[in-house]
Amino acid sequence: MRNFLTVEGLNRESLREVIETAQDFASGRFGNDVLSGRTVCLAFFESSTRTAVSFELAARRNGAFVISLSEKGSSISKGESLVDTVVTLDALGADAMVLRHPAAGAARLAAQHTAAAVINAGDGCGQHPTQALLDLYALAEARGGFDELEGEKIAVVGDVLHSRVARSIIPAFQAAGAEVAVCAPATLLPAEAGAWGIPVLDSIDEALAWGAEALYMLRLQNERMTGALVPSVAEYSRFYGVQRHHLSADPELLVMHPGPVNRGVEIAGDVVMDERSLIKSQVAAGVHVRSAVLALATGAVERIAV
Amino acid sequence: MTEGRNHIPTTRSGTDVELVIKNAHVLDPSGNLDGVMDVRVAGGRIAEVGENLAGGREIAADGLHLFPGFVDVHAHWRSPGQEHRESIESGSGAAAAGGFTGVVMMPNTDPVVDRPVVVSGLVRRAGRESRVRAYVSAALHVGLAGERLTEMKLLKEAGALCVSDDGLGTQRASVLRSGMLYARSAGLPVILHCEDHTLATGVVHEGRHSALTGLPGTPASAEDVATAAGLILAAETGAKVHITHVSTGLSAALVGFFKKLGIADVTSDTTPHHLTLTDELVATLEGLYRVNPPLRPKKDLNAVREALSDGTFDFVATDHAPHASHEKDLPLEEANPGFLGHETAFAAIYTELVLSGRLSLRRLVEAMSCAPGRWVGEGGGLAVGGPADIALVDLTEEWTVERRTLLSKSENSPYRGRRLTGRVAGTIVGGEFVYNARDIAGVGFGVRA
Ligand SMILES: [Zn+2]
Repeated sequence: MRNFLTVEGLNRESLREVIETAQDFASGRFGNDVLSGRTVCLAFFESSTRTAVSFELAARRNGAFVISLSEKGSSISKGESLVDTVVTLDALGADAMVLRHPAAGAARLAAQHTAAAVINAGDGCGQHPTQALLDLYALAEARGGFDELEGEKIAVVGDVLHSRVARSIIPAFQAAGAEVAVCAPATLLPAEAGAWGIPVLDSIDEALAWGAEALYMLRLQNERMTGALVPSVAEYSRFYGVQRHHLSADPELLVMHPGPVNRGVEIAGDVVMDERSLIKSQVAAGVHVRSAVLALATGAVERIAV
Repeated sequence: MTEGRNHIPTTRSGTDVELVIKNAHVLDPSGNLDGVMDVRVAGGRIAEVGENLAGGREIAADGLHLFPGFVDVHAHWRSPGQEHRESIESGSGAAAAGGFTGVVMMPNTDPVVDRPVVVSGLVRRAGRESRVRAYVSAALHVGLAGERLTEMKLLKEAGALCVSDDGLGTQRASVLRSGMLYARSAGLPVILHCEDHTLATGVVHEGRHSALTGLPGTPASAEDVATAAGLILAAETGAKVHITHVSTGLSAALVGFFKKLGIADVTSDTTPHHLTLTDELVATLEGLYRVNPPLRPKKDLNAVREALSDGTFDFVATDHAPHASHEKDLPLEEANPGFLGHETAFAAIYTELVLSGRLSLRRLVEAMSCAPGRWVGEGGGLAVGGPADIALVDLTEEWTVERRTLLSKSENSPYRGRRLTGRVAGTIVGGEFVYNARDIAGVGFGVRA
């Protein structure tokens, strides 16, 4: 069994392995029963439609038996301890637990209390490793292969401070050989943004001047859009939103977003559906990548790399 | 036994047994004692310190160091109301095992120690159950809510030694100011927990490790802003103020600045963990490492160490804060903040700072015994006629901190699994052993297996 708790520590070869396995799933190489006989538990202590649906589809499409616990249902009542739930699922014979939780480190803690493979589906502002893998997949497809990510310049734009997506994609893109910068107002950056040892940029224009070939736009949460962190949506979108003229200026520029997009805030309405926006292929990649992760974690598909 | 002000007499004090502790290396900076000597104890007091003493039961202390008992002005024994974490009995047992002979209990309990009847109840219970001298800190504001003043004069009559809104800190400057003015007129020192809640919204120090982990960070300014405010108000009101668990370089500098100005009656402490551990530990995301104020980066650690060694900080206090396992074995964001402190305080600082040559043993004894003893008004020295409150320590013993051997009811020591040097062998309060790990000379009970 192998846990997927964080992207940190995954090297280039393990990333390639997951991406290539996901490509095999996309091409139908494994049929639809690769997970048959395995039990996958989806334990979502925090609501999430997209990620939950994507994991559930990945598990069911490949023949797994699926147990879903969600925070909205009664299964995970508020206050029930994470450890108690994990111990229960372990006793029920789970092969894999897909965990979403509002606190960073939850998946790591869970992994200490179960023999099942724990897959982090997002914990607090910590990590969201399968999101990073699907982003790698989508960008690799768009550029013509995993090796094309080498040297790609990617600016991660927006609310880096509160984003587990940022914390996962930055090390993932770096491990794949890309050059990464962050781009945000100081109020949405960690106090020591320099901790990653990457450039800190202050507008989309600066990002393009730096040479960004892909803009990874982070979702700005509603509660942060007005008031103390960002003066106004108008000002934010003017400096940190992708506009049509940015695309016109650079024919190679790609735009990514983990969704759901605030149209007109992070990305101008007419850019969202542009062919140079990878948003749709990111969503599609999600199911393939999660199939691969479930299969590798449960040992249903043999690993090649270590 | 000395009738120090406001202390709670322990059950194990005032013994008539005479002891002569032979051949210990006596170190008492307050009395300028440093050398192998004997100490004679009679009637619970120090009767004589010198060479070739006789009389009473002899205790061979060859190879041990003998210090005035340690005094801790900041501990949470969780009584009343949270005895699943600690009790007066277990907390004082842990304190005794750490060489502490006097401890101030903080008031953020359930109920809060904010009424005279709660203070007197606590005084009575401590009198029955505490192994060491226990002192009560009452709240500065009712319910620690930062609104209504507590009945400080009545609290003092009931036995409170000082007042504090520890755990939260007083958030509004005007309320803190009137609290200080009133405390001054009540003759009670104020222990300040400095934390600005408009800034303290995270769970770890805001810096490199909050950036990398995504754990919500609290900037150092959350402490510094409140420290500055507390010092300014202390200067203005003339209150006797003690700033506790200082953890940042800037707050240390602020304390130093006000001390130099001489306009505030201020003392301060830092904790063993802020002297020895950094925020790198939070990268594990383990609930165990959540503490408030949070562990800081190296530069603050270095500044705090410097402030202890140059006397900017008057002493060390442990902020002993027990939590049950189910309150700590959680993701860091959800875990209760706090560490155990009593049993590892001396060894952690001795190992990290004294053995490495960053702090003199003499300064450590001043900071753990003499200065806090002066602050509580009792102990802290080996003066003839004073209380026979003593810590016997083996500076050569190496030991591993293990949860099973901790005497606290809880296990949340950040030093779990670490190898430390220096271990308390025996603790004497009022002339009687309250902790005797080695059954030294067969006079006490072997508390530790
Ligand atoms: Zn405190």
